[in-house]
Amino acid sequence: MNEIELIQGLRNGDETAFKYLVDTYQDRVYNTAIGIVQNAEDAEDVAQEVFIQVYRSIHGFKGESKLSTWLYRIATTRALDLLRSRKSKKRFGFMQRLFGDGNEPLHEIPDFNHPGVALDRKENAAKLFKAIAQLPENQKTAFTLHKLEDLSYQEISEVMGTSVPAVESLMHRAKQNLRKILEKEIE
Amino acid sequence: MNNNRNSKIEEILGSLDGSQRAAIPDFFYTRLEARMQQELVPVTKKSWMLRPAFAFAVLIIVLVVNAVVIFKGDTNKTNEIATNNDDTFQSIAAEYSLNDNNSVYDLNQEK
Repeated sequence: MNEIELIQGLRNGDETAFKYLVDTYQDRVYNTAIGIVQNAEDAEDVAQEVFIQVYRSIHGFKGESKLSTWLYRIATTRALDLLRSRKSKKRFGFMQRLFGDGNEPLHEIPDFNHPGVALDRKENAAKLFKAIAQLPENQKTAFTLHKLEDLSYQEISEVMGTSVPAVESLMHRAKQNLRKILEKEIE
Repeated sequence: MNNNRNSKIEEILGSLDGSQRAAIPDFFYTRLEARMQQELVPVTKKSWMLRPAFAFAVLIIVLVVNAVVIFKGDTNKTNEIATNNDDTFQSIAAEYSLNDNNSVYDLNQEK
């Protein structure tokens, strides 16, 4: 099934086309989401939301970009939304702790181990993920797509709706920030 | 010392190079299907029920019915109370034989 047939099938509400879409892209969507949210259950939630959104809004997809680009865009947006809601919940929890009875502990996110990283690199990768979590959203997105999904700067620029030089700049700043964060960690 | 630190940082920065794609847990499609059945079907029902026009129409109908019940019920009630009062007086009078209460005096007079 080529992309045009797939999109047509999705528009017609064809279940086989939808299953083919999920089978083809589920790991890419999940891997992108897990890189950003750094939690397996949340990443699966995000992946489900991505496919539900595709199902709902396939009629609005104009086909100007590749289907994979569109999916990456939805996945990163949804993953970042989840991070934002997690952050506001955490802030609310902190306020509750300040003004409440103070018995509830603040939940710190434990070290994240990406399932695709080789065993001898897991410790370093956990440190890197901890540092990635502190990056601004657009740097985090660019770095994750490049490192985990192996996307080129051109592809990242299409996903993020920006230019290639802008992505180069984002990656440069992301690496600089990561170095600074890691320097503090190592000291 | 600095060299060591820099090489350690570079090592950490490169730790994701060549990593494999994380595979989604098994039976993802089954769980997705279940969630879609849950989310997509009630949404259409909800959206119809939650339309402002529908809610406004229901509100107007409820208000009109209330007004009708209050005003119509009030006039009926006044009439009913009036007739009810007459009936009650008559029945009480009949029960205690108050209608021919003069007879009591008659009896007394006879004595």
